[in-house]
Amino acid sequence: MLHKALLLLGALAALCLLPNAQAQTSPTEIKIGHIHATSGPFAAISMPAYYGLQLWVNETNAAGGVMVKPLGKKLPLKLISYDDQSNPATASTLLNQLVTQDKVDILVSDSGSVLTAVAVPIAKEHQMLLFDMTGTGSSLFAKDNPYIVLLADPVSTIWPKDVADFLKDDGAKDGIKKVALLYATNEFTNTQATALRNFLKAAGSPIEIVYDQGVPTNTSNYSVIINNIAETNPDAVLELGYVGNDIAFLRNLGDSGQKFKFLFTIYSGLETDELVKNVGAAGLENVFTYITGVWLANKAEVGMSTDQFRSAWEKAYPGSGVEFGYNSIAGYTTGLVIGQALGMADSLAQLDLRKAVFAQSGKLETLDGHFELDEMGAQIGEITPLGQIIPDGKGGVRIGAIYPHDVATAKPVYNKP
Amino acid sequence: MLIHALLSGFVFGLYFTLVGLGLNLIFGVMRIVNLAHGDFLMLGAFAAYWLFTLAGLHPLLSALCVFAGFLVLGIPIYYLIVPRLQQSRDSEMLSLILFFGLSQIVEALAAIGFGSGERSIPGKVLGVGSVHLFGQGLPIAWLFSGAVSAAAVFFVYLYLYHTRLGTLTRAVMVSRDEAMATGIDVHRVSAIAFGLGLALAGVSGVFAPFMFGSVTPAMGVEVNVAAFAVIVVGTLGNPVGTALGGAIYGVSLMLMQTYLGSWSNILPNLLLIAVLLVRPQGLLGRAARHA
Repeated sequence: MLHKALLLLGALAALCLLPNAQAQTSPTEIKIGHIHATSGPFAAISMPAYYGLQLWVNETNAAGGVMVKPLGKKLPLKLISYDDQSNPATASTLLNQLVTQDKVDILVSDSGSVLTAVAVPIAKEHQMLLFDMTGTGSSLFAKDNPYIVLLADPVSTIWPKDVADFLKDDGAKDGIKKVALLYATNEFTNTQATALRNFLKAAGSPIEIVYDQGVPTNTSNYSVIINNIAETNPDAVLELGYVGNDIAFLRNLGDSGQKFKFLFTIYSGLETDELVKNVGAAGLENVFTYITGVWLANKAEVGMSTDQFRSAWEKAYPGSGVEFGYNSIAGYTTGLVIGQALGMADSLAQLDLRKAVFAQSGKLETLDGHFELDEMGAQIGEITPLGQIIPDGKGGVRIGAIYPHDVATAKPVYNKP
Repeated sequence: MLIHALLSGFVFGLYFTLVGLGLNLIFGVMRIVNLAHGDFLMLGAFAAYWLFTLAGLHPLLSALCVFAGFLVLGIPIYYLIVPRLQQSRDSEMLSLILFFGLSQIVEALAAIGFGSGERSIPGKVLGVGSVHLFGQGLPIAWLFSGAVSAAAVFFVYLYLYHTRLGTLTRAVMVSRDEAMATGIDVHRVSAIAFGLGLALAGVSGVFAPFMFGSVTPAMGVEVNVAAFAVIVVGTLGNPVGTALGGAIYGVSLMLMQTYLGSWSNILPNLLLIAVLLVRPQGLLGRAARHA
C-alpha cells in the first residue's frame, strides 16, 4: 500500500515538474525586462532609449525572432517595460518585479546613471546580468560584480578626455588659459567633472580652473550663475548637465547677452534635435560638444545604418514628441548587442550571456562606435571626440569634428566675448 | 556678485509671487490645498507654447487668453469638487489627497498628449539682451515676467480691497460660516476665487518657459514645493503676504546659488522648516486672520 502511495506521489511530482523542466529548457519566447520614464527629469533621455530598444524588438520579431544559439532556433521577443516616472524608489520596485514576478530572461536598465544606479545592486543580488544602456558613472562598475555590462555609452571618465586634451593643446595655443567648470551634482556629470578636473590640473597643464561649482540637477535657472562665472573672466566655460540643464543654461546665456570665447555643453551633440527645438540654431552657434554616433559616420556591422535608423524612427514614431538622438541609438544598439549575445551564448544562464557579450568586445562595430569592455564591464571602446555646432543656415545645425586631429573635419571657431 | 544676486533674486521672487498667489488665494478662501496648482501652471505653459507654435501668439496675448480660459474652466471644476470636499469632516487634509490625485492625472494626461520632451518659446519673443539696473544686467524676459507678476499682485489687491466681490471674498476668508449666515453666496464667491487661482497659475505658466528654460509635463511637483514655501513664509491664506514670501524665496535662492550652489535645491525645505519653527503663522500671520 505504502509502496503504491509513494509511486503515485512520485508520478505526481514528476508530472508537476515536467512542464517546469520543459519551460526551462525550451522557452517559447525571450522576455526582456526594462524600465523607462515617461515623466520626470530623466524622461528626455529615457524615452528615446526605450523607443530605440522597442524598434529593435519590433524589427527582430518582424524578421521571425531572435536567434537563440542554445536552442538552435529563432524565438520571438517579448518586451516588458514599466514606467518608473524618473523615481529611483519606483524603479527599484519595478526592477524587483521584473526579476521575481515576470521572471525575465534579460534585464535592461533605464537610461542614465541615476536610474541605473538602483538597478546595479538588484541585478547583483539576483545574479541577473544587467544590460546597462547608458549608465556610465564609474562607480557603477566594480571588480567583484560580474553582473553588469555597459553597452552603448563609454564610461563617464573617458568622455571628457578629448575635451581636456584639446584645451591643454590647441586651446592653450589659441589663448585659452582660464576655465570655468559648472556641473550638475549627479553620478553622470559629477564623475565627468572629476575626470576633467584631474586632466586639467595634471602636472605641466597650462590651464587654470577659475570657477568650479556644482549645482543640483534640477536647477532650471542659471542667470545669476552665469553672472558669477563672467566675473571670473574665464576663456572657456564647461557646463556639464542633463538635457534640461543645458537648455536652461543656453537660454539664460542667450538672454543675458553674455558670450564666452569657448563654451562646452554635453547634450548639444547628444540630443541635438531636442536642443535645436528649445534653444534654436542661433543659440547653439559655435557651442562645443561631444560628437557621438548621431554625427560620426560609424559603420555598424549589425543592424541599420544611422540614416536608415533615423528613417525607421521617423516612420515608427511620428508626432510622438520624442526626438531622435543619441539615446535612441543607444536603445537600438543595446538591443543589437543583446541579439548578438543570444546568438553566441552557450546557454541562457546569466554568466554565459555575460561571456557572450564579452566575446564581442573588441570585435564589434556598432552605430555608437567600437565596442570594447574592460574587465569590469565598463565600455571603453566608444569615443567622444570634441565637436562644434555649426548652423546650416536653414534653421538646423551640423556638427564639425574638432579634436583629435585624426578625426577633425573643421577648425575651431571662438566667440568674441 | 552680491548686488546682482539680490537684484536678480528680487525679480525672480516677483515671478514666484505670481506662482504662489493663486495657491494662496484658494487656500485663503476655501481652506483647501490645491496640490495640482503646479500642474495647472504646466497646462498654462503648454497652452502658451501651442498658441505661439500654431498661431504665433505673443506670450502677453497668450497670458490674457489663458487667464480668461482658466478662469472659466475653474468655476465648473470648483462645483464638481470643492463643495463635496468641504462637507467632509477634515476637508483640509482630504484636499491634499484629492488634489494630489488630480495632479497625477493631469500630469499623466499631459505626458500622453504632449510627450515627455522639453518645450520652450524662443527667448527673443520677449526681447533680446539685458536691461541694466543699478549697474547690473538683467534679462529682458525676466523683467517682462516680473512686470506681469507685479501687475497680477496689484490686480489681486484691487480685486480684494476695492471691489464688492473682493469684500465678500475677504468675508469668506475670515469665516466661511459667518459669511454664509449673513447671506453671502459663499459658493459663488468661492467659485470665482477658485477660477482666479487657476487663472493666476495659468498666467504664471505662460512665463515659465522664460524663467525655467523649458517646460515638461512633470514640472508641476517641483513648482508646487517652491510655491508652498513661498506662501507658508508669506502666511497661508494671505494673498498679499505672498509678495513678501516670493521676494524672500527669490533672494534666498539667488544667494544660495551664488555662495552654496550645490545646496540650493534644499532652500524651499529650509525656509519651510525655519518659518514653522520660528513663526508658524507666517511672517504676516495676523493679517491673514483679520484681513
